[in-house]
Amino acid sequence: MTGRLRTLALAPAATLLALTVGAPFLILAAYACLSRGVYGGVMPPWTLENWQRLADPLYAGILARSFLVAALSTLLCLLLAFPLALYIARSTRRKNLLLALVMLPFWTSLLVRTWAWMFLLRDTGLVNMLLMKAGLISAPLPLLYNWGAVVLGLVYAHLPFMVLPLYAALERQDPALAEAAADLGAREWQAFWRVTLPLAAPGIRAGVLLTFIPCLGTFLIPDLLGGGRTILVGTFIQNQFTTARDWPFGSAVSLALMAVVLVLLWAEVRRRKEPLL
Amino acid sequence: MTRRTFFLPALSGLAGCLRPRRRRLNVFNWSNYTARQTLPRFERETGIEVRLGVYESDEEMLARVLSGNSGWDVAFPSNYYIGPMRDLGLLARLDHRRLSRLDALEARFARPSWDPGLDHCVPLYWGSSGILANPQLAPVPEAYSSLWDPLYARRITMLDDPAEVYGAALKKLGRPLNASAPADLQAAHTEALRQKPLLRAYLNAEARDLMVAGELAACQTWATTAQQAISSAPHLRYVYPEDGFALYADCAVILRESRRKDLASLFLDYLLRADVAAEIAAETFTATAIAGVRKLLPEPVARMETLFPSEETLRRGEWFEPLPAAAQRLRDRLWTELKSA
Repeated sequence: MTGRLRTLALAPAATLLALTVGAPFLILAAYACLSRGVYGGVMPPWTLENWQRLADPLYAGILARSFLVAALSTLLCLLLAFPLALYIARSTRRKNLLLALVMLPFWTSLLVRTWAWMFLLRDTGLVNMLLMKAGLISAPLPLLYNWGAVVLGLVYAHLPFMVLPLYAALERQDPALAEAAADLGAREWQAFWRVTLPLAAPGIRAGVLLTFIPCLGTFLIPDLLGGGRTILVGTFIQNQFTTARDWPFGSAVSLALMAVVLVLLWAEVRRRKEPLL
Repeated sequence: MTRRTFFLPALSGLAGCLRPRRRRLNVFNWSNYTARQTLPRFERETGIEVRLGVYESDEEMLARVLSGNSGWDVAFPSNYYIGPMRDLGLLARLDHRRLSRLDALEARFARPSWDPGLDHCVPLYWGSSGILANPQLAPVPEAYSSLWDPLYARRITMLDDPAEVYGAALKKLGRPLNASAPADLQAAHTEALRQKPLLRAYLNAEARDLMVAGELAACQTWATTAQQAISSAPHLRYVYPEDGFALYADCAVILRESRRKDLASLFLDYLLRADVAAEIAAETFTATAIAGVRKLLPEPVARMETLFPSEETLRRGEWFEPLPAAAQRLRDRLWTELKSA
């Protein structure tokens, strides 16, 4: 491809990115350095106050808790997704069907699916009703409106984002590698641990990124399944733009969240001395 | 498809573009303030097409119209948003010559504290927040202070709204609903922190379904929401708390940006019509601010205590007022602390 043709072909995507990522980023950065209007919006003077407020332990605590919840959800996703991805990658005939089943939830809005979980987990919901009918419990278990429900919702919503990159990495692996390991005397679990898993590392990294970052920013799931008792950084930012009407502080928190994620990614790249993904 | 059957609709579509455009009015309203026939009848009678958008909170509405070129003509802010929106220059002054039915308003809404001359708003709907209780599960809490009783542990919810939660705490403490001194807000926050372990959750509309399903003994909720629950589960009871409760009124306004203020006036005057107001009240379970409408309602609706409290009960109610900026900021911070606790 000639140089000019390449520029021409890249131009639409570059323009789109500049408009939809670059411009909003600059607007956020400007908002974060302005003062709040009493009823929303921003106004002069320029100030650093929004950034100073970030040092408050209250907000640092919310950020730390969000990282913990996102990390736990990602870990659970990984543990659930790996065997599934391996099974699909090694199955011979129904591969496409199984992949389609993994993607099936995307046919319905996340909002509707989260509401469905609320109906399942309620005191009078299906799960509690079945357990009571079976005589296993005498009073409904508190399944909804707690951290457990939030993590469950996050794992459920992000599982496909973990399965697909893992599948892509595992599917590419030559089955002969595992056979060679077996020929050389490795037991099945040794072959898995020392051959399959290390070779799947790029898939794991991609899956972890695709799961962890959305988990960190989500507000719908913690809000609905946490019953407003819990606050995570996503809900907090949303709240700053609605009820609290503090757009500058909301902007500062979003940028801080972005910065923390970028620093972590950068540290990972540096540690491995290789390009990201 | 033959060429002719394709051609004819295409031609008539073209003609539609050439015809003078129908006059259109853009109305931004709460989701529960229009009955099925409200807009179609207006369109039939006036030939004005109405585009309806709905919102779920004052904040959401304000965020949209704040820019001053949102495209909306009419909105329905709550009474405590009228002053701020007027000060921000978002509201048009009403032309009383075009509003022939303004004198139909009930006495208390004819000169309301938030806009005594009705210069910028027409109060149309009002309601309260209070306690919805299930007498089959637990003794009915008659006051907000009862919602701190361990008897109800994990079987109650409060609204997911700082004004309502701190308002209830202030009433428990015997202080004014709109108290905004730092000491008052701090005291309310301490009470709310003590209450949080007893709560199942902070919920708005979702509490209705949990009450109907019998999962909660009581919840703080709005009268309209409570009435919807009572209509499907008649054993539920709405309580106007003995220690006091909040009142709000949603008012029609014409936005200053509107280029169709004459059509908007026509629409406001239509909403003031007794038969239109009665239909809305009966279908959506909201109390109307227009005098004489109650007589037109079907018997069961007219007698609903939830919507139409007695004068004696009303004396315990207080109207929400806008919070001063510094108090607003403190309350937001405290609310974040409460949610993170």
